[in-house]
Amino acid sequence: MKRTMRIMLMMLLVATLAVSLFAAGKSEEAKPARKVINLWSFTDEVPKMIEKYKALHPEFDYEVKTTIIATTDGAYQPALDQALAGGGDNAPDMYCAEAAFVLKYTQGDAAHFAAPYKDLGINVDAKLKEADIAPYTVDIGTNGSGDLVGLGYQATGGAFIYRRSIAKAVWGTDDPAFVTSKVGPGWDKFFAAAEDLARKGYPIISGDGDIWHAIEGSSPQGWIVDDKLFIDPTREAFLDIAKMMLEKGYTNDTQDWTDAWFADMKDAGARKAFGFFGPAWLINYVMAGNSGGDKPGEGTYGDWAVCEPPVGFFWGGTWVLANNKSPVKEAVGKIIEWITLDSSNTGLQYYWANGTLDGPGGTKDTVASGTVMQKSDGTLPFLGGQNMFDVFVPAGAFATGKNKTQYDETINIYWRDQVRNYSAGLKTKAQAIADFKRMVADNLALDV
Amino acid sequence: MAQKGVSYAKWGYIFSIPFVVTFLIFSLYPTLYTVVIGFTDLRGLGKTAFKFLSDPFENYKLILANVTFKQSLANTAIIWVMNFIPQITLALLLTAWFTTRRFRVKAQGAFKVLIYMPNIITAATIAILFNSLFGYPKGPVNDLLIRLGILDAPTNFHLQKWTSRGVVAFIQFWMWYGNSMIVLIAGVLGIDITLFEAAEIDGANGTQIFFRITLPRLKTIVLYVLVTSMIGGLQMFDIPRLYLLGGPDNATLTSSVFIYNQAFSGSYLYNRASAASMIVFLIIVVLSVALFFIMRDKDEAKARKRERQLKRRGGAV
Amino acid sequence: MKSIKASTITMKTVIYVVCIFLSLLSIFPFYVMVMNATRSTYQIQQSSVALLPGKSLLNNWKILNGKSFNPWVGFVNSMIISCGATVCAVYFSSLTAYALVAYTWRLRDAFFSFIMAVLMIPAQISGIGFYQFMYRIGWTNSLLPLILPSIAAPAMVFFMRQYLKATLSLDIVASARIDGSGEFRTFNQIILPIMKPAIATQAIFTFVASWNNLFIPLILLTRQEKYTMPIMVSLLRGDIYKTEYGSVYLGLTLTVLPLFVMYFILSKYIIAGVALGALKE
Repeated sequence: MKRTMRIMLMMLLVATLAVSLFAAGKSEEAKPARKVINLWSFTDEVPKMIEKYKALHPEFDYEVKTTIIATTDGAYQPALDQALAGGGDNAPDMYCAEAAFVLKYTQGDAAHFAAPYKDLGINVDAKLKEADIAPYTVDIGTNGSGDLVGLGYQATGGAFIYRRSIAKAVWGTDDPAFVTSKVGPGWDKFFAAAEDLARKGYPIISGDGDIWHAIEGSSPQGWIVDDKLFIDPTREAFLDIAKMMLEKGYTNDTQDWTDAWFADMKDAGARKAFGFFGPAWLINYVMAGNSGGDKPGEGTYGDWAVCEPPVGFFWGGTWVLANNKSPVKEAVGKIIEWITLDSSNTGLQYYWANGTLDGPGGTKDTVASGTVMQKSDGTLPFLGGQNMFDVFVPAGAFATGKNKTQYDETINIYWRDQVRNYSAGLKTKAQAIADFKRMVADNLALDV
Repeated sequence: MAQKGVSYAKWGYIFSIPFVVTFLIFSLYPTLYTVVIGFTDLRGLGKTAFKFLSDPFENYKLILANVTFKQSLANTAIIWVMNFIPQITLALLLTAWFTTRRFRVKAQGAFKVLIYMPNIITAATIAILFNSLFGYPKGPVNDLLIRLGILDAPTNFHLQKWTSRGVVAFIQFWMWYGNSMIVLIAGVLGIDITLFEAAEIDGANGTQIFFRITLPRLKTIVLYVLVTSMIGGLQMFDIPRLYLLGGPDNATLTSSVFIYNQAFSGSYLYNRASAASMIVFLIIVVLSVALFFIMRDKDEAKARKRERQLKRRGGAV
Repeated sequence: MKSIKASTITMKTVIYVVCIFLSLLSIFPFYVMVMNATRSTYQIQQSSVALLPGKSLLNNWKILNGKSFNPWVGFVNSMIISCGATVCAVYFSSLTAYALVAYTWRLRDAFFSFIMAVLMIPAQISGIGFYQFMYRIGWTNSLLPLILPSIAAPAMVFFMRQYLKATLSLDIVASARIDGSGEFRTFNQIILPIMKPAIATQAIFTFVASWNNLFIPLILLTRQEKYTMPIMVSLLRGDIYKTEYGSVYLGLTLTVLPLFVMYFILSKYIIAGVALGALKE
């Protein structure tokens, strides 16, 4: 027995020694001046941009190490948080955050990792004015001390995207200015238009999700006010709006991002949906491919147009941030400035807007800089030749970033779940609100 | 009962060393971390400093009073029962069929291979697939049911509580019944073949052989399947989370998803998540002990009891 | 005689019908997965389930290859991790189980209870503690922390123990000792062969679980040359509007193929109709 005990103890010692050696070894590595930038992203958009930057600036001799972890399965944030907290050579110097969770990194619990842009060698105020950046992206990217720590390159201000042929069938014209005046401003006009359409057998939108982003984005206050859960009246109205629209046949009762929702983009749904709410990426990356064709005349391709929405909102987007403990801040600053604030014809935004990042003929997109959009060509055959920038530039101005919180992702899931239950008639409004509050209290430990 | 000659007991210790050492290195820290954090105020992102709460069980009390937690426990139990009963029944049935020599089922190998297949696919893929299958208002199942005339209009399967639970239970069943079957078959393969031969010579038919010979000798393996299915079922995570995120209206929220949400849905309540983990752990322990007790080998238990009584009366040590 | 034969035939028909139905049910998602691997993202978004193949296989393959990672590297990494984890788990679990069954020692029952307790700890939170620990000791971007922990596999120890309890007769061990075999040699040369069905079964399960494991590798392996196949497939999912579903399904199909192969190799030990009766030797 004694001998075995001794053997066991020895093995334990060996094991402990091994572990401590590991730990010790890691912290004693020599540190030469680093010419490496660690970039963390959840898509390959930003890495591809940096490749273009290096092609344009051959004197930029930093090596860029990219870590890409998709946001599906919720794996990106824990890994990023761990890497930021861990520090050291492998910590991110530059990282991306999506609209769904960006506030955590600019104003919330992880904000202390972010470096103010002015510390990166960027003349923030001058550049902002010069590029005419949409205010909502600045609001989101400004931290609690008033410093700008993050900006998006895409503009994701939303518009209303509608079917030309249906507009003609119901009102006789498909002119965007006319449709703008028909569906807004304000929801009352929107519902009047919905009534017009419903009488002729067309639901105005596909599902309740389409209208939610507009309502969410346009509410004066966010979900948290004075550290308490707050249900803004405009958001609370969504309960009844969803129910009413379902009952009056203004929607096809689809859920966004499901098969049936995509089907409505090419008229394969129960009835032909009139329009969708969304930013430019919805048009270029989702609807174009799902329209049942790739040339005007095929499917619904070319039969769409955009007009200003009844209320301003934004949906999605990627913000770029820098780590304030990074030893290569200057280099990172150069890249970030090129991506987010450079409004010249060799800045990223110009390529992005015109779809010329990988050569001609790429997908166009709206960008944060109004200056760039003014001088870019946003005509799309998908929109029957309309220049999308005409609508999206003012749309960007409407959107506000002041009504977001870092808990939005989770709270929205609960809220929409309850709304769906209520509009399907499975519970009363009081019950839905009570259950919603309870879920928020139980899972997020917030005061309700 | 004294053993003559050399005691080989020390080999028991020696052979267990790799397990113990590995566990100490890799699992001790995480496990202790979980246990300790449940008594602190650690919450929020990137914080490492924590204080012990003045009322050490505060987190536990909060969790036990948490309505969503209680819902998740109920859901877990419901879904597990819906999943497990068909699973073990079918697994035992298939095992009986495939190992009864009288039936001589051809292409047995192919069947076994195919039935195990669902276990290989990742839960994420399955969740997406089933989500689309039951899509509303357009989806393969809806289309099929309408065409067959069973439904007049599409139903939103994702919005009804019991259909959602049924689908989750079905997916779990479908992914794991092949696994259980294979485990049971492996167990049957360990039974001495002479017993089967003798029984057949005596004229026993398939059912008698299965119930009188196979099943009793399979008891230890069946206990394994029961315990691991129970533990696995109580920790059901991937499918409930990925299929409908625990919806609709928390109908498919299982305890593991609840714990995950406490830790990751925005407030990073690590302390409460740990407390909830410990509570679930205790529940599992109690149920497992009960299971072991019910399935214990009664003869062995009696023998051990007598041994202990002998020792107490001052028998040879 | 006749009635027995008739009932056997009806029984057999029932069995065949049920088995064929179950087999179809089991193959169904794989079929859909393979079909989707040949369709384009937009086709899949319109209707996720299709019975006929599409024409986008080459296109999907190009997208898969066009990403910055190399699928072959992922395959090799996954192989190393899964084979290593399987071998470690199977060998050491059998060893530990043997210790629990063949010897009587004072801490034996307590140790078994301890192993069962470890089995019951919910995995989510210990996962967090695990990777925080790995970060703290700097052991990221190495394949070892994904292989070594499987030396301690409580579920497998439990299964092997139950299996040994049912099938092992201690007379074999006694006779081996009389023949002069050391304990370790007895284990390696006599006990392990007896456990072949159990080993084959558990090897398959461990291999599959390790191969499909995404979360921990995703967080620990951040350098491209260490990526495993599931990580690479997850990289194909970008923002919800940029996911190339066709390539994702192609990636998933490719990820599953090696599992099929491994399963076919190991399954003959389970299909074998011959029980390994030990006493006769």
